[in-house]
Amino acid sequence: MLGSFAATILPIVVSSESAVVDVPVAQATDAFGWAALILWLPALSTVLCGLCAVMKVKSKLPGWITVGLLGTSFLLTLALFFSYEYENPVIIHALQWLNISWNGEGETVQFIANFALYVDSLTLLWMLFVTGLGTLIALYATEYMEVDVGKGYTRFFAGISVFLFAMSALVLGDNLVMLYLGWEGVGFASYWLIGYYYKKPSAVAAAKKAFIVNRIGDFGLALGIYFIWHNFGTVEYRVLFEALNAGGYSTETAGWSVRAIPYLLMLGAFGKSAQLPLYVWLPDAMEGPTPVSALIHAATMVTAGVYLIARMYPVMLLDEYALPIVAWIGGLTALLAATIGMAQYDIKRIFAYSTISQLGYMFLGLGVLTSFGAAYHVFTHAFFKAVLFLTAGAVMHGFAGQLDLRKVSGLRHMPGWRIVSWTMFYGCLCLAGFPLITNGFYSKDEIIAQAFITPGFGFVALGVIGLITALFTAYYAFRVWFRVCAGPVHFEPGDDHHNGEHGGGEFHPHAPRLVINLVLVVITIGAIASIFLGDWVLRGVGDSTAVYPSPHAEGDGFWANPHRWMPWVASAAGIGGILLAWYFHLANRSAAERMKNALLANGLTRWLPTAMENKWYVDELYHATVRAPLWILGHFLNLFDRYVVDMFLVDGIAKLPRALARTFQPLQNGILQSYAVSMAGGLALVAVLVVLMPQFVEWVRSVMGGAG
Amino acid sequence: MSLVPLMILPLLGAIGVAVFPGRRAKWIALGVSTATFLYSVVLAMAFDHWHDGGFAFASDPPVGWLDEFGITLNMGADSVSMFLVLLTTLLMPLCIWGSFTAIRERIKEYFAWMLGIEAAMIGVFIARDLIFFYVCFEFTLIPMYFLIAIWGSTNRAKACIKFFLFTFTGSMVALAGFLYIAWQHAALPGGEWTFDIARLTTFAATGLSATEQAWVLLALMTGFAVKVPLFPVHTWLPLAHTEAPTAGSVILAAVLLKLGTYGLFRFVLPMVPEAVVEYAPVIAVISIIGILYAGLICWVQEDIKRLIAYSSVSHLGFCVLGLFALNPLGVQGSVLYMINHGLSTGALFFLVGMIYERYHTREMSKLGGLAKRMPVWAFFMVFFVLASVGLPGLNGFISEFLCLIGAFTASADNAAYPGVLGPWYAAAAALGMIIAAMYLLIMTGKVVFGPLKEPAATNNSHGAKLPADLTFREIGVLVPLAVLCLYIGFQPKPLTDALEGPITQVLAVYPETVRQHLAENAPAIDELDRVILTMTETDSDRNKGADDG
Repeated sequence: MLGSFAATILPIVVSSESAVVDVPVAQATDAFGWAALILWLPALSTVLCGLCAVMKVKSKLPGWITVGLLGTSFLLTLALFFSYEYENPVIIHALQWLNISWNGEGETVQFIANFALYVDSLTLLWMLFVTGLGTLIALYATEYMEVDVGKGYTRFFAGISVFLFAMSALVLGDNLVMLYLGWEGVGFASYWLIGYYYKKPSAVAAAKKAFIVNRIGDFGLALGIYFIWHNFGTVEYRVLFEALNAGGYSTETAGWSVRAIPYLLMLGAFGKSAQLPLYVWLPDAMEGPTPVSALIHAATMVTAGVYLIARMYPVMLLDEYALPIVAWIGGLTALLAATIGMAQYDIKRIFAYSTISQLGYMFLGLGVLTSFGAAYHVFTHAFFKAVLFLTAGAVMHGFAGQLDLRKVSGLRHMPGWRIVSWTMFYGCLCLAGFPLITNGFYSKDEIIAQAFITPGFGFVALGVIGLITALFTAYYAFRVWFRVCAGPVHFEPGDDHHNGEHGGGEFHPHAPRLVINLVLVVITIGAIASIFLGDWVLRGVGDSTAVYPSPHAEGDGFWANPHRWMPWVASAAGIGGILLAWYFHLANRSAAERMKNALLANGLTRWLPTAMENKWYVDELYHATVRAPLWILGHFLNLFDRYVVDMFLVDGIAKLPRALARTFQPLQNGILQSYAVSMAGGLALVAVLVVLMPQFVEWVRSVMGGAG
Repeated sequence: MSLVPLMILPLLGAIGVAVFPGRRAKWIALGVSTATFLYSVVLAMAFDHWHDGGFAFASDPPVGWLDEFGITLNMGADSVSMFLVLLTTLLMPLCIWGSFTAIRERIKEYFAWMLGIEAAMIGVFIARDLIFFYVCFEFTLIPMYFLIAIWGSTNRAKACIKFFLFTFTGSMVALAGFLYIAWQHAALPGGEWTFDIARLTTFAATGLSATEQAWVLLALMTGFAVKVPLFPVHTWLPLAHTEAPTAGSVILAAVLLKLGTYGLFRFVLPMVPEAVVEYAPVIAVISIIGILYAGLICWVQEDIKRLIAYSSVSHLGFCVLGLFALNPLGVQGSVLYMINHGLSTGALFFLVGMIYERYHTREMSKLGGLAKRMPVWAFFMVFFVLASVGLPGLNGFISEFLCLIGAFTASADNAAYPGVLGPWYAAAAALGMIIAAMYLLIMTGKVVFGPLKEPAATNNSHGAKLPADLTFREIGVLVPLAVLCLYIGFQPKPLTDALEGPITQVLAVYPETVRQHLAENAPAIDELDRVILTMTETDSDRNKGADDG
């Protein structure tokens, strides 16, 4: 009944005859042996930073070591990119790892998960921005973190190096176990760096939360890997994709254990990429130093989930409902996060919700079958979000930790802040999808337009949600810019002022110096350059496992093809959002406050601003439904263990002999005659036993084993 | 080469420590245990069965003991034994070195018992005679009893008695099981009394009926489950761990618990295959209950040492689960788990001991933010917590992953190694991964990070004169363990290669036994298949319907 109902309302996105299209499969080669250095250089950097810690180095040396080695890693990635030939993915062996063989029915069966690199265009796309932005942000951090030289400086750069190592392993690995190593590795690096200010309880709590929530996702990913091994007998991409190409798997023939795989991988992806229902860790992760937020929690690590789904695209197609669910989760997350972002006051938190929202777009793209749109948005987002975070970091750095957008104003009129103001302006334009001159415009349109084309359950509604979110996005992005950079000059220092180097005297903001400005400009140029790289990304995705022909629009008329009208509509939404922000946060700043008060005054609408400011109470909901019950269960089991298992069962049984002894205690009455009687009785008993022993043994045997 | 010095050296050392003047006791003990370690390394280099699973250094000719019952003192080591011996001989010098400042009274006795327990533990791993094995197995209790009773904390009297009686009662039942096998063997026409492990194993696997095997399994499980420990016979462990001196806890967690899992691997699996196949699901469920139950209990502990003790119960659940997966991946994971848990949990107990020596408390509520006071300690603490959580790249991950994937694929449709577990078992156990991250990181968050919180003026009040952060000696104790954790995390292949031989031998009978078992229980399986088939059919029908429409 339910089945047929579902069949009528859920159009099938994936054609069921051949769910899996042929994907290019890599071959092993020795030619690129040096490419393994891309992976090992960050590891070396970690070791060297560790040495610096042991030697108690009190200079910027660890920072420069990290920048140097990561930069070399980036150059090697470039070299690999230029020596890579399209349509010839390669596997590069680095190190034997998990490699276990046994005999199975005459042939040797092997479980192989080595350290080896799988290089195709998707890998290269990710690696280029991971190592490139990694180097630039490490460079930025050499200046940003300078107050901590001799204190946490070394620890910080060791963490960045560990992150780069793990992220490279995640992206480059040629099998799912190595991906899992990177997956948990970046989670650990994130734990390490969110908790960088370890004396601050909120930072420690945020770090812990990030790791644990991610572990829930990792649980899904691990099970997904087990299912893949169980069904396909391999965890290596090459063998897996060969099996998928050859096996003719389709959504019709696959059993439940195959159909479970996409959903489990999805759980992993949603954990790492902060999607519903596992996004709650990312806003808290802003407790980390800002370069970390820019690198890990905006540009690179959080896109790992998108990478996983793109890499496993042929596997995701094994169940026809999997990708529509990805699309819906992505779309809803985009909308939810954008509504929260509009009501926050902390600049970094706004950008964090914006990251969640933009990641939602990427999953929407994957779900509506434009893996190109998703990958392109990952690429463009990495640049403009890095710019936004790094400018926010510059503000925080300059105003002693001030992040409240109500407390800093008119930045662009202050001396030394011009580059920060205008790079942030361009970043906001990209985020808002301002037409023609921003990269976000091109990548976001691709996704939203495709949502209107691809047939699927409610995909048109998702397209509309995408457009509404675009309006919200433009509003909250420019809310930040009009508040902080425009308007009259006015500022208050943050909390670090009182205990910082200024010693409580009169506060002077210090503008960023050369390195920070340089990095901002370079990344902004990268963002501009990425406008022209769309075709290159399209070709790259076509050359990878994420290849899937996006459905085309039916007509070519203006209104028949969403790809043609979308630029106009989306631009209108973006510009509309910017204008709203301009009115409420620059032209007439008190209007925003008045509107909020009006909403609060009305009993019917009071909930809206409150709920948005309180992030829709999702944290509280999780606390009440998951954490608290488990915590109570833990306490209950603890008491159960102590009083029932230990005291009642164990000690109770242990008391039996003593109780038995008490029963016979009267026998020891000190009267000689009674002793003699019991002695005689005992002897008789022994005699009987000796005589009857063989029969007894026979009996035991017959009871226990029959023939035995 | 001979295995005898492995036991003789520590025994002689124990006597030497007892005889010579007290001031030198710790140095003699350290020297002797280091010499034993070096000797075991030499043995490992001379060991020539790394790849075929055979036993080396066998006593030739057999050394008699009680000839009329065929009891001998035969020894021999395969690669599993070698690894566990190496783990023991490596940990002992570290334990002894680590106790230099913690033990301030009755020093001679303490180090004599430490060397005594080393000899007994090594004996367990190299015995090739059941009675010899059993004697060593039981003899480990005596030194540990005194270590807890004399050098333990406040509640030590209760702890040592409970520890002794609990495990002793369990292993008596196991002895009964062993004796039954030997007796049956002697009762064969033309049979003779022997306790030779190889002969009895072959005999038990083929000569006992299914019912007898079930009873023997029950007897052996009673003994070994207490030692492992499995739920619900684990309650001696938190108590003993909490009360034992640091080195005692380390030995307990790192080696003594492994006597149980070693027993399961060495005796239960090869001796009673039919019963194992029959009852593996039950044992697996008990292990999984242990994983989750102990994990949740860890979460609400206040005492760090007690938390780590319960985490051992949780972790060893994975180890037993992997063993009863009955396929190479699971058993590989399980044997590696024995080694890895020894390294990481041993180190965690050392770390807690270092805190206790300085602050005389293990209460989480009284400690906080120690990273500021003791950065080096904090580094190692986080490192070993992560190894324990199973972070890939460190050793814990390798074994946990293999145990889980082993249990996962231990289903009836696995062609080469059909099993009686399956995805649901692994999925339930994998929840333990999340819980482990919760309790360990929450503990780390409280003790290592956050604002600094120390009990007032307790540091050095014991006259130990320890600096705030770790001393050279303490770092020296931790570094070898950390290096091994990292090494195994990235290079497990030498270990997995070496373990292939013995594991293949132990598992040799299983595919056939499981297939028979499955064939006998076919109706039930068919029913399940039918249900699943109908489910999939409905699925594809739905697709067809959708295609048409």
